Amino acid sequence: MKAPKIAIAVLAMLGVAACANIERSRNLNDARVSAKTLALQVCSACHAFDGNSVSPNFPNLAGQTPAYLVSQLKDFRKHSRADPAGFEYMWGLSRNLTDEQIDGLASYFASQPLRPLPAGGVPGIAGQGIFERGVPEKSIPPCKGCHGEHGQGTDQNPRLAGQHADYLAKQLSVFQRTDERPDGAVMKIIAHDLTEANKSDVAAYLQAMAPR
Amino acid sequence: MRCFPWRLTTSIGKYCLSAALAWPVFGIFHVEQAHALPAFARQTGQNCVSCHAGGQFPELTPYGRIFKLTAYTIGERTIPISVMGVASVAKVNDTSKSDSPAADFQKNGSLLFATGSLFIAGKVTNNMGVFSQITYDNYAYQSAGPDGQPADFRGHSNADNIDIRYADRFIDGNHDLIVGVSLNNNPSISDVWNSAAAWMQYVPVPSPTSHQFIDGTAPYPGFGTGGNIAGITTYAYWNRALYAEIGTYRTANQAFSFLSAGINDGNTTKLRGSNNPYWRLALSHEWGAHNAMMGVSGMVAHVFDGGSDVSDPDNLGRVRNIGFDAQYQYLLDPHTITAQFAFMRQKQFYSANTLAAAEPPYFLADGITPVAAVNASDTTNILRAKVSYIFQAKYGGSLSIFNKTGTTNTLNQTSGFDSNGQITSTDPEGTGIASTRVNGSLTGNPATRGWTGEVFWTPVQYVRVGAQFTAYSKYNGASSNYDGLGRNARDNNTLFLYLWAAY
Repeated sequence: MKAPKIAIAVLAMLGVAACANIERSRNLNDARVSAKTLALQVCSACHAFDGNSVSPNFPNLAGQTPAYLVSQLKDFRKHSRADPAGFEYMWGLSRNLTDEQIDGLASYFASQPLRPLPAGGVPGIAGQGIFERGVPEKSIPPCKGCHGEHGQGTDQNPRLAGQHADYLAKQLSVFQRTDERPDGAVMKIIAHDLTEANKSDVAAYLQAMAPR
Repeated sequence: MRCFPWRLTTSIGKYCLSAALAWPVFGIFHVEQAHALPAFARQTGQNCVSCHAGGQFPELTPYGRIFKLTAYTIGERTIPISVMGVASVAKVNDTSKSDSPAADFQKNGSLLFATGSLFIAGKVTNNMGVFSQITYDNYAYQSAGPDGQPADFRGHSNADNIDIRYADRFIDGNHDLIVGVSLNNNPSISDVWNSAAAWMQYVPVPSPTSHQFIDGTAPYPGFGTGGNIAGITTYAYWNRALYAEIGTYRTANQAFSFLSAGINDGNTTKLRGSNNPYWRLALSHEWGAHNAMMGVSGMVAHVFDGGSDVSDPDNLGRVRNIGFDAQYQYLLDPHTITAQFAFMRQKQFYSANTLAAAEPPYFLADGITPVAAVNASDTTNILRAKVSYIFQAKYGGSLSIFNKTGTTNTLNQTSGFDSNGQITSTDPEGTGIASTRVNGSLTGNPATRGWTGEVFWTPVQYVRVGAQFTAYSKYNGASSNYDGLGRNARDNNTLFLYLWAAY
């Protein structure tokens, strides 16, 4: 093939590019792009197409409570959630999302079925005890009091059951040691006296909890 | 210069040596760069660690691979410009075994502003994006002084790696298919794994000869054509499990001359026609915080001898590559562990004119024993393996080994010969010796083996400071006296310190 023909082919490619299909757009600054398109084209890269992320670096979004997902995306967008997992990945991606897109993303992932994860660590009775009874001698209340009998979440309080243990333990440390998640300030008080072992125990238990 | 390994193996053959030395421009080494692009970070608003494993540029994370395969289109259009610069010092173990240490080890131990790059990179449309790099080499060549000796260094800019691509992604609950087309100037620059030939080497390679033994110049698996050619490849990535790419390359001239801009015509790689195919297959898998890939790649290219008349078919050689590579990553904050393995076999078929030029009989110094005839083709095998660990994306270290083996060929003997093409004694004071010290090869065998260790610190994500040590146990076919004039492989051991910054 002669060079001019190839050049024409490249120009044709550019022409096609100019008429890109909005249904498969990865543009994060275009209100016309639907939430489902963004979920599949962008979010799926880390969280998987159905919110069941493969890597524990990225939280499971499937089956999460919609109100919690909305509040987190808005917190990322206004930079009020500043933990490393948040600002490194999510500040930029969320900066120009519209409220409508955020609502749509929350609905999309909340409606996806959560798939059980393999047990992370050893989900022993210690973790179960913290979830169900808290740590009474330190006045730490049980998780299920706010996050639901089955850890399924209640409105603004996120689902914990079926979440990656590594993510849960790290977030407990964020609450405990920093003010990077002001919306979860109540967790700073609750998690204050948790030991490293407490955190990994309860996180392992929650990861292994059957999604309900 | 990693761009033209094929040209190096032939043009620095002993028969071309005198011509090379007579050339008034010395040391034209091209530069391979690290690629971390603040322009991309601005486009997505994300940190470098999102796309680069442990912030260790240019190695991509699974997300970084999707970002690249979808044509750099995630995010929003911004000003698509970045710059980067490298300052470095290199110190070679022994500079005394040289006829001219000042020439063989220029700037040894001196701090240099080595190279700088301008990147134009980013999203163009919803389906199209660009990664392009223009590199300035502050030590690109030396002007000729009044006595014909090399004088001042001069800087020079040229097109470096360029990848312009169009992609689409078809994804639903059952399938995830990314398809795309890339117009690029370097075989495997379009690849997304760091064990690919164009990417495994991650440190800059400044030009002065004091830097000629740093890791970046040690053997790396690569394609025989090198870069600055024009190729179109198409690719598909299915369910993040199977990747296939196929394309073909041609000379970067006419409409494609921008892909070799700034490189003078005599130094660009000339290919015959557009039938120089490149292909790549890879299997990848992600589980938990781990991901791994195994792949194969290959290329067949019809390449004219450097600077030769391309209308003469007798100047046409051929080079065939086949490679196997694998990569593993464990990415879970604060730990990053990665490993790469790459093996490349290259078979080089020489042009009729190269073989004819090497035809006259040569004898050993006794004047009786004939030197073996040159091979019509040569085979080299290069193996690289590397493991890295990075803590908090800040403190890192890596260890790599390299082993190059290959056929022995009189054509590659560049040392131990006199000006009449006879092998002489190893006495550098002997008359008429045209041997090359330091770079020369007495054996005609390319075997080179060694290891590199590196520690680095990334205090902020756009700055990296590194110390690297490269040790050789074999060089140009021998552990000791590889140049026939007493230089040993370990004399080339080099300490390399660098400061890299980008914005």
